[in-house]
Amino acid sequence: MNSDIRKTGKSGKIVLFICLLVIAGIQLFPLIWLVDFSLANPNELFTSGILVWPEKIQWGNYVKAFVDGNFLLYFKNSILINTLAVVFVLLISVMASFACIRMEWKLSGVVKTLLLMGMMIPIHATLLPNFVIYDKLGLTDTIWALLIPYIAFSLPQGVFLTSSFMSAIPKELEEAALLDGCGIYRIVFTMIMPLMKASLVTVAIMTYLNNWNEFMMASTYLSTKTWKTLPFAILEFTGQYSSNYAVQFAVMALTAAPALLIYIILNKYITKGVAAGAVKG
Amino acid sequence: MKKKLLSALLAFTMVLSMTACGAKESSTSDQASEDKVTIKVFSNLPDRTNGQGFVEQTLFDQYMDENPDVVIQVEALDDEAYKTKFKAYASGSNMPDLVNVWGQPSFLNEIIDANLLTELNAADYADYGFINGSLDGFSNDGKLYGLARNTDVMGFYYNKAIFEKNGWEVPQTYDELIALAGKIKDAGLIPCSMDGSDKWPLSIYVHDLMQKIDPDIKTQVQDSIANGDFLNPVYAQAAGLFVDAADAGLFQSGFETTDYGTAKNLFTNSQAAMFYMGSWEMSMATDENVPEDVRNNIGVFMMPTVAGGAGNVTDIAAWNGGGYAVTANSKVKEEAIKLLNFMFKPENWSKLCWENGICMSAQNYSEYLTGEETSAQLDFTDIVSGSTSVTGVTFNDLGTSEFKTLSEDLSQELAIKSVSVEEFIGKLEEAGK
Amino acid sequence: MKKLYSNKYIILSLIAPGLLTFVFAILVPICLSVYYGFTDFSGIGAANFIGLENYTTLFKDSGFWMSLRNSLFLAVGFILIQHPIAIVVAAILDKLQGKAEGFFRCVYFIPNVISVAIIAYLWKFIYNPNFGLFNKILQSLGFKGDVNWLGSGNAIWSVLLVLIWHGFGWGMLIYYTGIKNIDPVLYEAAAIDGATSAQTFMKITLPLMKTVIQMNVTMAIIAALKQMETVYLLTNGGPGNETQFLANFLYKEAFKSYKYGYGNSISVIFVIICLAATVILNKIFAEKDERRKRA
Repeated sequence: MNSDIRKTGKSGKIVLFICLLVIAGIQLFPLIWLVDFSLANPNELFTSGILVWPEKIQWGNYVKAFVDGNFLLYFKNSILINTLAVVFVLLISVMASFACIRMEWKLSGVVKTLLLMGMMIPIHATLLPNFVIYDKLGLTDTIWALLIPYIAFSLPQGVFLTSSFMSAIPKELEEAALLDGCGIYRIVFTMIMPLMKASLVTVAIMTYLNNWNEFMMASTYLSTKTWKTLPFAILEFTGQYSSNYAVQFAVMALTAAPALLIYIILNKYITKGVAAGAVKG
Repeated sequence: MKKKLLSALLAFTMVLSMTACGAKESSTSDQASEDKVTIKVFSNLPDRTNGQGFVEQTLFDQYMDENPDVVIQVEALDDEAYKTKFKAYASGSNMPDLVNVWGQPSFLNEIIDANLLTELNAADYADYGFINGSLDGFSNDGKLYGLARNTDVMGFYYNKAIFEKNGWEVPQTYDELIALAGKIKDAGLIPCSMDGSDKWPLSIYVHDLMQKIDPDIKTQVQDSIANGDFLNPVYAQAAGLFVDAADAGLFQSGFETTDYGTAKNLFTNSQAAMFYMGSWEMSMATDENVPEDVRNNIGVFMMPTVAGGAGNVTDIAAWNGGGYAVTANSKVKEEAIKLLNFMFKPENWSKLCWENGICMSAQNYSEYLTGEETSAQLDFTDIVSGSTSVTGVTFNDLGTSEFKTLSEDLSQELAIKSVSVEEFIGKLEEAGK
Repeated sequence: MKKLYSNKYIILSLIAPGLLTFVFAILVPICLSVYYGFTDFSGIGAANFIGLENYTTLFKDSGFWMSLRNSLFLAVGFILIQHPIAIVVAAILDKLQGKAEGFFRCVYFIPNVISVAIIAYLWKFIYNPNFGLFNKILQSLGFKGDVNWLGSGNAIWSVLLVLIWHGFGWGMLIYYTGIKNIDPVLYEAAAIDGATSAQTFMKITLPLMKTVIQMNVTMAIIAALKQMETVYLLTNGGPGNETQFLANFLYKEAFKSYKYGYGNSISVIFVIICLAATVILNKIFAEKDERRKRA
């Protein structure tokens, strides 16, 4: 591999490097722009410069965004709902995969295909009928109105990934355990799950990425603050502070921050997880 | 392996404790609601610290102070999101108790037909000072279903300081308005800021022109929609005049995708010399977020007269749009009506709105004049008291909600010339049928 | 032991949570959609059975065809613009090694972790014709800078640009992983044969990436069909229906025009199109594979 890079001339290398830097710039610049104006006075957006050097850094914008945007509450809800969704998706998909791959029954193939079909179903197609169902069952404006669809629409991917990883685990291991008198449940939860740690991380990350940013369902099914998630901080703020762009920018930057921080800290695992999940999927 | 098992167990208990916590929380709130009445309000005023939202919240706070056993829960979204969510609510069984409604057939008819609103006792409001006819839009078959919040007038806000500095005059005719647009553009400013992505301001602009061409047109519009007959040349002429304005660059570049907030901000940040919007925006003059040099220089004029048109500048686009209603399935109907009545006691909504320079209520507010009105307030007062005819509800809101979507889409397409005037008329006829 | 593996109760208890979630959250709603799709239900009041009327209207509705056309446009845009850049960048990154490799990989993926709500609002500001970033850049380069980015004719390109920008890191990462999985021995052999980097890329990297590319293409088409959030906040389908997509279209019809039954008929067609697209793509790729194997 190294031989190749040696062959490319020094000038060629520099050109390539500059290209990569330019793309990095394109990917990052809108975000830099966002942070810049979030610290400025709202009127400064209307000046002609591409970036501004704020006359006075307006930290107050962030204070407003933090307090009036219900940031803490929505953040807490987002964490709770997404974590629960991940836990459920992991448990349910491992159980279902085990049933379809290892257990011996006639319909295992059909059921697995059925579950996987969910991957092709557009989540928005269920928006209208689900509203009617949740309303009848009194689930609107409860945590379940978000949890159920979030789990359901991440499940197919979960089943797909766990089942493909599970088939790679040699069956002999379980059989030995069975001979020792272990029950199926113990095998699933104490043997298979730990063995699949890496792939479970992948499923968890994919589920998080899928659901963390979702807001169509949330805004249709929820009405009070109790369970609203982070994207609401932005959706509500644009109405509340329609005449103050700087505060709007601040709330956007603030809302982006947690996911960004987590990503930068766990960057290695996330890229690996996504890559593993995507290439398999 | 033991460690793994332990962590799995830990995760499991965490989940259990979380759900248990959730359950606990809801049960405590149930207990609280036993001795407290919770009134759920669904509002289209998301900004609770300025404008009408501020007045609404002030009144709610005051009511809760006076009635310690009442809790008012507000869910507020801006107009478009509000209307969408309202329809979602309407299809379900858990509507909020006090809701915002528009006294327009496109919004209200379907809702009244489905018996979603509680009938109010019209006699209760005899001494509330509602202006004659202001509750008509909220009534059906002689029954009253809601109270009007405001008298809405559509006009051009303009920045007096910019006009003065450049020696521009308030246009007296539509041709002058178009000529002025050219001058303002040459000065490097946006002539008139327009909210085109919400589309209804465009439709109102067209109707405003219809009123200037023929002040009696309003008697025909409803029939035209019902029969799908837009042969009357007034419609085509108004549509043509609207296209002329768009062609002349009266509106900012990209107005068809500019949302409400952005359109307003262009005006309040001195990027645009004018802003075509309703009287509820007079509160710009008292909004601390608006820069002082703009805030203190806001004037208003009406759509100028059209060459050959029968209408005068005093034939204005005005109606009673927004208001409140109590839902039929509310479990706290009595309490919600009490709250509604409290809000509209003349010394509450009407007075607060006027004193804070926010809007003109649908009630008689003359006794609350302070002598310290903003110039926008004074201009609007003069305009309303001097009006010779009003449009009433504009054409886009006179049909079904489907007609509303179609006609407003068409107004936008007309503005960006993806349909011609002939196609505009043709498609309106189709939509009406 | 065999008995344990075919114990009906254990099977049932293992599969039930997954199956119930699927039935309750996906299957039942879709059945309900099929039912409502045959009615003139407005969302409130009573529903009348009107047979296939919704579907005949739908096939005559220009908004529907526009949505499909836009999905196709997006998919082609992804495949012809986003993916080639992503593959090339991934190949270059693979050669970089060391800290720079990790840095760029990390930076490229950043837009992906940011909420669509933020992305859409942010780009609305970037595109604003009067004070947005793009026109300011154009102005500073000496152009007039009054491009109406979200206006008629430009809007769909602007939407495409945002989606390409947002999804670039994802596509890049997948290709990158694919390239990493290629056996380095092949490259070494090519180097010994004196192949240039461009030749190596065309002759070795691309052919070996075939399955990854196929998968990415499938995902691009599905993503283009399912597009909703960005468009909803950025243009809401406008101007006119120029940037309309199926999901946004059904939302608009159901909630804005009170045509709940009609909206549900769109849902049904939407599901059918997504399923059909997947099946067809799988068929196409499977056939190609077979033909190649035979040859």
